[in-house]
Amino acid sequence: MMAISETADVGSRNMDEKAKPRFSSDLPQVWIGMAFIAVTGFVPSLLGNSYWVHTFQLVNIYIAAAIFQNFLFVDAGQKSFGQGVILGLGAYVTAIFFGLHDYPFVMAAGLGLGAAALGGLLFALPALRVQYFHLGFVTLSAAIVFPQLLMSLDRWTNGINGISVQMEALHHETLFGLTPLTIIVALYPMLALWVHYFIRRSQLGRQMRVAAVSPEGARSLGIKPGYMRFTAFVIAAIGTGICGVLYLPTVSFVSPQGFNVELSFVFFFAVVVGGRGQMLGPIIGIWIVFILPNIALAQFVEYRLLIYGFLTLLTVILFPDGVVGSIERWRSKRGVTGRGEQAFRVDSFLDRLKGGKPVEPTDEIVVEVRGGTKKFGEVVAVDNADLKVRKGEIHGLIGANGSGKTSLLNVLSGLSRLNSGSFVINGREATRMAADRIANMGIGRTFQTPRIYPQFSLWDNLKVGIDARTGEPNDDIVRLAEALEKEFREDSAALLSHGQRRLVEVMRTVLKEASIILFDEPAAGLSQSERANFSKLVRFLSRQLGKTIILVEHDLDLVWGIADTITVMEQGRIVASGTPDTVAKDPAVQHMFVGGRRA
Amino acid sequence: MLLEITVIAVRGIAIGSIFAMIAMSFNIVHGATGILNFAQGNMLVLGGFAAFFLANQVELGWWLLMLPVAGLLVAALVALQGWVTLLPLRSSVEQDSWIISTVSVSVILGAAVLITQGPFAYTVESVVPSFRILGVRTPGAYALAIGCMIFWYIAMRLFLKKTFIGLAISALSQDFDAARAAGLPVRRLQIIAFAISGLMVGTAGFLVAPVISISSDAGLRYILNGFVAAVVGGIGSNLGTLIGGPLVGVVGMLTAYKIGGAYQDLASLLLLIAILMLRPQGLFGRSSARRV
Repeated sequence: MMAISETADVGSRNMDEKAKPRFSSDLPQVWIGMAFIAVTGFVPSLLGNSYWVHTFQLVNIYIAAAIFQNFLFVDAGQKSFGQGVILGLGAYVTAIFFGLHDYPFVMAAGLGLGAAALGGLLFALPALRVQYFHLGFVTLSAAIVFPQLLMSLDRWTNGINGISVQMEALHHETLFGLTPLTIIVALYPMLALWVHYFIRRSQLGRQMRVAAVSPEGARSLGIKPGYMRFTAFVIAAIGTGICGVLYLPTVSFVSPQGFNVELSFVFFFAVVVGGRGQMLGPIIGIWIVFILPNIALAQFVEYRLLIYGFLTLLTVILFPDGVVGSIERWRSKRGVTGRGEQAFRVDSFLDRLKGGKPVEPTDEIVVEVRGGTKKFGEVVAVDNADLKVRKGEIHGLIGANGSGKTSLLNVLSGLSRLNSGSFVINGREATRMAADRIANMGIGRTFQTPRIYPQFSLWDNLKVGIDARTGEPNDDIVRLAEALEKEFREDSAALLSHGQRRLVEVMRTVLKEASIILFDEPAAGLSQSERANFSKLVRFLSRQLGKTIILVEHDLDLVWGIADTITVMEQGRIVASGTPDTVAKDPAVQHMFVGGRRA
Repeated sequence: MLLEITVIAVRGIAIGSIFAMIAMSFNIVHGATGILNFAQGNMLVLGGFAAFFLANQVELGWWLLMLPVAGLLVAALVALQGWVTLLPLRSSVEQDSWIISTVSVSVILGAAVLITQGPFAYTVESVVPSFRILGVRTPGAYALAIGCMIFWYIAMRLFLKKTFIGLAISALSQDFDAARAAGLPVRRLQIIAFAISGLMVGTAGFLVAPVISISSDAGLRYILNGFVAAVVGGIGSNLGTLIGGPLVGVVGMLTAYKIGGAYQDLASLLLLIAILMLRPQGLFGRSSARRV
């Protein structure tokens, strides 16, 4: 009897787990991709078809380059039109040292790889300062200039004649007609897939993706977006540089025409057509973009560019997710079932965090602004403001629209800088600190529009909070994280309601173990019952977890219900500050309550 | 010595005027839509193409008649391109598909030119005779380039300040949501902005056809140099392009004379990287290129 019920139990649990389809198909896509590459890489050799052997050697190298383009494009958000340059640098420098100066191949390849990495640095340096379309132009320019340089620096590059190399050892047939080269160039794109997969699953990968879609959100989590872009360009350059090194023995010849703008466009367009961000995207993309015009339409070589262009334009307009992305979208749509209010509740999780007796605010000052002034052109958003926030208190910041509350909040979180005055956080001068450093001092914040990343599972959306932690986690948080992971690992965050999104942001700051939390109009858009729950949550954060809360909010009932101290702003100035009772009686703020709450 | 300086200055400023016009055509579209049209250089080449087919070796009267025709043809094409580019932005969460679509249009136009004419550049005979500055023979089209730049600068200034449509487009560039909330027909204004940018580069391409290379790969090089001109001047500032364009032109000419013609684009690239590293907002930029 016992045994039967136990089995039944296990069975039902399995059913439960089955009921949730995988949120991310990255891993199956990697396995399918490996199978595709293995088939196209090895089967032509087994059949003894040397044309296809050679073609797929090149295709596999291009697939690897497109995988790194995909990583750079989607995970890091950088549109590079110059990856062909990086590949060319790897190939050409290797060819120069190996073919013209008789260096050993390994040494020449090392130099080629170094050159590719340096090329990546050329892209990465401006990326530290700027982003967006600027980098697109920098990389496109590089793609235009590179073949010109190969031509004009003919003293070193042999100019238009190019460089031929012989590498017999790699072309010797071994088992089943496979040459060492065939095996290497098939294994490399497989390795590239795994590299992409593991970076994406790592803390670095998550932070990169956050920085790519929301730089402010990233900085409030202690991430430096410029550094993320820089790292991504360098990683992509090394990966693509290896493609260049492999290109040399495969083609046995390099010339300037081989590395014109067209090559860079092939990688870029392949990613778009195949499906941006999908693991399989670059493989399917290269097959369509490179093989189709080159082989199926071999007689129309001059139409190749035209076909690339049209394929890409049609993809963007008709099915912007690309081939694999469209299939993936259909799959995830089929699997997604909205869970309504059950989708994200945190009460039961937070109950586990409950300490012993409640914590009361102390008199220690953790945030202090002295004479802070912030101007936008002629407009004075914050005007000589003084503010003191005690440790552990809930500090309400109220005032009409445009009175400078959010500006002050942005200053405190480092997203904008004071024109004059100063402020101190946890006893440290923070006036000129960058947002990511302030975040690393234990500040967490939420935004008026919650920063939710739909490409992440619900759990990964929370996990970026853990990634942002600076110290060792406390045991309770570790247990909380484990419980949350178990529950939300395969859930999508895309269907969450506004209130639930707000909760995700709050939980993120809890997991980050921020000691000071800044809320920017958290109740806006919440229903009455959600507001009540939110009040309880804020109270809990302050009294049970001992966090200091600064709350910018228009809902005066909510603020008066939970705040320990209230500061009133008007036209950038602070006009009143004190306990809720004294502020309510202050004549300077009476007019705010006309028709409103307790007069 | 004086001769060389004159040649470098005159040619540099004249070629730079073309870059300045591309930069101005960037500005109007960027202001209205946030889009930078990567195909703008190819559109300029199409203006030159129009000159070759419509007004090569013709009389002054016919040439003058064909100038607006070429401008309007390119304007219609850019408006169509703008409409297509804006299509996916209507609903999509992702707002940067325009980079992909404008780049692909640029590639399509380049390939189309390659297919119709082969890899060699067309040459167009100048209607305006050449003249001498300080003893240097200067093609008439150089004067036209500078004149065209000044014309478009003044025309854009008046258009954006004095006409209703111009003011509405300026409003878009100030605050997009507010303009929409105020009931402006945003999409139509954006297409008009695209059309105006086409008119600008179409007429420019037509006028300077005798001195530019009308070939399949020229478009990308004009786009590069036009963008550098826009960044140097500060994206969004037409006044800045009047400085940025000629500056890029003169740097290119100087490079061509001192180092070699093959290094002109490299010089532009290095100038671009330098300005992005040192002063990303450009000389007169109001909106910073540097986003957090």
